[in-house]
Parts: sequence; structure tokens; C-alpha cells
Amino acid sequence: MACMNEDGQWIVLMGLLVAVGLFFLALIINQSALVGQTTAEGVLEFPKNDIRDLRKAVFDYTDKFGMVPDTDETKKNVQEDIIAISLERKNAVVSFSVGQRVSISGQQAYPVEIHYNNGVTEYDETVYHYRAYE
Amino acid sequence: MVNDSGQLYTMEGIAAGLVMLLTAYLILSTTSIYTPGDTHIPDMQLEQLGSDVLAMMDTPDREGEESQLVGFVKNGTGTCGGDELRDEFLDNCKMRSDDPDENLRAQVYLSYRRSDGSVNTTPLSSVDPEFTGRENAVRVTHWVHLPPGSHSIPNIDTSRPHAVLVEVLLWRV
Amino acid sequence: MVALIAVASMVPGLLAGLQSSGIDYDAVAYRTGVILTEDPGWPGWPVYPPWEMKDQYHKDEIERMGLAVSNETPNILLSTKIEKFFNDTFFTTDDYRSKAIFGEIPYSYNITLRSLDGRYNHKVGQETPEGYGYIRRVVKIKEPSVAVIDGSLKERYTISPGDNSTTRTFTVRLDFSRLLNASIDPAYRIDPLTEPVNITITNFSEYLNKTDETVKNATLKSVTFRRGSSSIRFPFPYDTENPDLYTLSLDGNPYDLKPEAPVESNISLVLKPPATSLFPLDQNSILDIRFTFENDPPHTNITGIHYYDYNPKNVTRPALKPAVLEVAIW
Repeated sequence: MACMNEDGQWIVLMGLLVAVGLFFLALIINQSALVGQTTAEGVLEFPKNDIRDLRKAVFDYTDKFGMVPDTDETKKNVQEDIIAISLERKNAVVSFSVGQRVSISGQQAYPVEIHYNNGVTEYDETVYHYRAYE
Repeated sequence: MVNDSGQLYTMEGIAAGLVMLLTAYLILSTTSIYTPGDTHIPDMQLEQLGSDVLAMMDTPDREGEESQLVGFVKNGTGTCGGDELRDEFLDNCKMRSDDPDENLRAQVYLSYRRSDGSVNTTPLSSVDPEFTGRENAVRVTHWVHLPPGSHSIPNIDTSRPHAVLVEVLLWRV
Repeated sequence: MVALIAVASMVPGLLAGLQSSGIDYDAVAYRTGVILTEDPGWPGWPVYPPWEMKDQYHKDEIERMGLAVSNETPNILLSTKIEKFFNDTFFTTDDYRSKAIFGEIPYSYNITLRSLDGRYNHKVGQETPEGYGYIRRVVKIKEPSVAVIDGSLKERYTISPGDNSTTRTFTVRLDFSRLLNASIDPAYRIDPLTEPVNITITNFSEYLNKTDETVKNATLKSVTFRRGSSSIRFPFPYDTENPDLYTLSLDGNPYDLKPEAPVESNISLVLKPPATSLFPLDQNSILDIRFTFENDPPHTNITGIHYYDYNPKNVTRPALKPAVLEVAIW
């Protein structure tokens, strides 16, 4: 091999470059199909309505039992209702508590703490709920 | 004798030709590629609709009134309250700006805690004769505070208020 | 060679890119549905004035248009926001795209709101084609309250005998600290800063001075405003008649705030939020709206203060109206 034949090297090199470029592009476009899948799934997975509903249930509980001491059987039973049914039917671990009434700028409010965990989404909130007029 | 220096060119040529043919074939026979995301969208739309309707049925139109949903649940299984719930729920789901969306069906269940502490789920509306159990259904739920009193719900402690869960199974035929 | 084989197996993925924009429409429609039904918009509460009170010159300050009463009351829509949103002479197609729909692609849209009783039947956007992304939301609409003072309240609002003054003043009092009470759910709250205040006096003939048979009407001299104990000027000249600020009609005919005209049977004053926001008021103010009648000898015996509060005998709050909102995107 006195002198190597270097003809065609350029073509081969360009071919390799084009192949790599096509590989990369096709990979990107292939992954884009998954984008649509996760959008709708993500919406279904996040328990927006469940959390809103739970908050409303806890606020209704606060309206009815905020003034009642924590040792009261009825109050404990209703709390147990929400916790047990959430666990059994909604697959979510829920806990909540209502604190002593405080006065905020002249209005009565209850500090409410809510914890929600359905295995995928965890939600914790501390909020002041103004008691609705009966 | 046999010169194999042109092998690479030939292989290249064949591969290039194959790629071109394949691409041309695929472009000419373009079909919609079924992406996995499609199945979830109708479910998402139905679930949002059902949740909205239950939330609106539980909102009193005037302050201090009892909501429609609590009224239906109080009637319970005894006086067809569940069927009325189901019918009112479906009417609200079908509402649209032009003609109503007739292809929706629903079934109502109630989850509550029995006097012994265990959770029971009982059907509240009468069984739909077309229900096969294999429909692509979504489940929407809503909490209801039930005042004390007999509500024709089996095994419930009637002396205390309850927090119960109304569950509605909603599907399209 | 291996790369070429790999490329050949991924070529079908190349064509998926052409079809995937079809999935976007439902997601965009869902997002627009959430913005419209669950978001009060920005600027919205707690920032004042809210987006529905911006005029032509401040339209760019609107970042997001949402129809909900507040972020604590999803799916309850405010009628003033609805009227503003569906006004397509005020908003252009680009406004809807940048303030409600968002996204880089200019989507075509069709948003409709229809109430069960047919009173609201609004539509904005283009005609829908065969296939489109869609979401349907079920909502309730909150309408403004009305204070109706009819003949049945005559006992409360008649002068004591022996009062010989020639002017008669009748006041409607809005006590903001009582109205903007956090214990009242925002879905049922009366908020004069964001909703119109409607005062309707009907059967006015009951309040006329019956001792004189020839008296058929009384002259309403002016409608003035007071804050606490001092009077405040209406920020515009009294003779401006601007339906965006207020409407005053006597027996069905429109007048400005110094009508000096006779009224026989009814008076209706609607004070709109853009006017209320111009007064220097805060959450603890008391706004008095004074109707002054002047005749010599006096033709009417009306007097007193009518409280615009949550008492159902004083103010009628209409029931929430069920409606359905549909968003189509393509």
C-alpha cells in the first residue's frame, strides 16, 4: 500500500453525518407523541375536585362543630366518617383539625388544618375559616 | 481478480435507496397514528362535567337554604330519592347550548359508615336495565352532611349527623 | 449501517409530528374552561379595580379574564364579568387569544354561555368546524341585588305629623363594614364596589300627600351622595348622563342626577361599579344616597333611611341561575 486510495472518504463522512442527524431528529419527533399522553393523564391524576370537595366538607364540619369541644362523641364520629370513607372509597389518607376561635379584625375565625395524601399527591393547608352565619 | 473496492458504494446505494422507498411509501400512505393520549381526554371531560354538576347541585340558590343534593339524599332509598337524584344529575349533564346531549347514563351510590363503624356502599338509584358493567365509566363523588333522622338508609345510626359520600358513575352510550 | 437501520425504524415517528397538534385542542379548551369558570381574573380580588372595570385606555392592564366571583367560589360566575367578557365590540380576537386562551398558536375559538332559563345566551368567536377540542362546564350565575321600596313600606317611611319643612329627603344607606362581611360566602355577598346597586321605588303614589286631591306627583329635585356625615361630590358634572356610570329613570324616562322633574309612580336608580369606585370609599365607609323632593307645599311625605343590607325585607338577592359554558378550540 504505497498510497491509500482516499477517494470517496468525503462521501462516506457526509453519509455518516446525515445518518446521525436523522437519528437525532427522529428521536425527538418520536418522543413528542408522549407529550399529548401526559397532558390529559396529568389532568385526570391531579385530584383537584377531590381536594376542593374535602375542603368544603371540612369547612361545613367547622361551621357545625367549631364551638363544640373536641371530646364530644358526635363531633368525633363525623370526623371519623370523613377519614374512614376517604380511606375506603377515595384511597386517600385524610386528617384535619379545628383550633380555638380567634378574632381577626373584628370577625370570628377558626384556624383549620387539613392534610390529604392519595399516594401521588400530597396536600397540606392551614387556613382561617370565617364561620358562616346560621 | 475480483476488485472489492466498490462494495461500500454499492451498500450505500442500496441502503439509500431503501430509505427513500420506505419514506416515500409512508408519506403516501399517511394514516393517523393513534397516540396513547386520546383515550384519556373523553374521560377527563366527563369527569370534570360530573364533578361540576354535583358541586352545583350542592350549592343552594339562596343563602341559608338547604341544597338540592342534601334533599335528595335525605329521601334516600325509600321514596325514590335516588332516582330523582339520578334524573336531576343527568338533566344537568345533558344541558348544552343547542340540543341536549342525550347519550349519557348514570348510576348513584352512597357510602356511609354503619353503626358498627365499617364503611358500606349501597346503590341509591334503581339499576339501569342497559347497564352491562363494561362501560367506560368515570366515578365522581361529593361529600354531603346528613342531619340526624331516619333516611331509609340501612344500618345507619339515626341519632347523629353523618358525613356521607355520594358517588355517581357516569358513562356515555 | 446500524445507524441507518435505527433511522429506518424511527421513520414512522417522523409522521407522528404532523398529527400531534390535534391533541392540543382539548387540553387548550380545558385550560380556557378552567380560567373562565374558576378564576376571577387578574387584576382581580384583592387588587382593585378588577379587570371588568378597565376602560378602553387601560385595556392593556388586563392580564387574564376570568368570570368567577372569587377564587374561593369556583363555578359561580359574576354577571358583570360576563357582560364585559362577551362584549366583542370592546375586545378584539387578539384580546381573547392573549387574555383567555393563551398559547403561541393563534387558535380559533367559540365560547358560548347559556343559562337554563334563556336569559343569558352569549356567544363569542367563529363558527365551529367539523372537529374541534371541547369542554363543557356547568356553572351558576350571581346577579346583582335590588332594593325594592314599594307601597307596603309606607308605614316606615312617612314623616311624623307636624313636620312642616318643604323638602323631603329619603336616604338609602350602604354600610360597607356590614356588607363586606367575611362570614358571608362570596357567592351571596353584596359588594357595591364590583356589582351595581339597584334602588327601585315603586307605587310612589302611596307616598304622595293624599290630603290634597290635586296632587298627582312630586318633584324629585336631585340625587346626592354623602359619606358618613359629609356630602361628597359626584366626580362628574351632575348633568352627565352616562349609562356606564349610572341610570336614573323616573316613570320610565331617563334623567340626570338633577332631574327637577315630576315623578308619579316609580323611580329607579342603578349605580354602576365604575361610579362607586370613583368615590373615596374604603371597607368601613358608609355611603348615603339621598333623594331630595321639593315642592311648595310638599307633595310627598316620604322620609327615613332604608338600609341596603342582608335583611331580605330590605334587599332582594336573586337566586343563583344555573347555566352551561362551552369552549371550542380548533
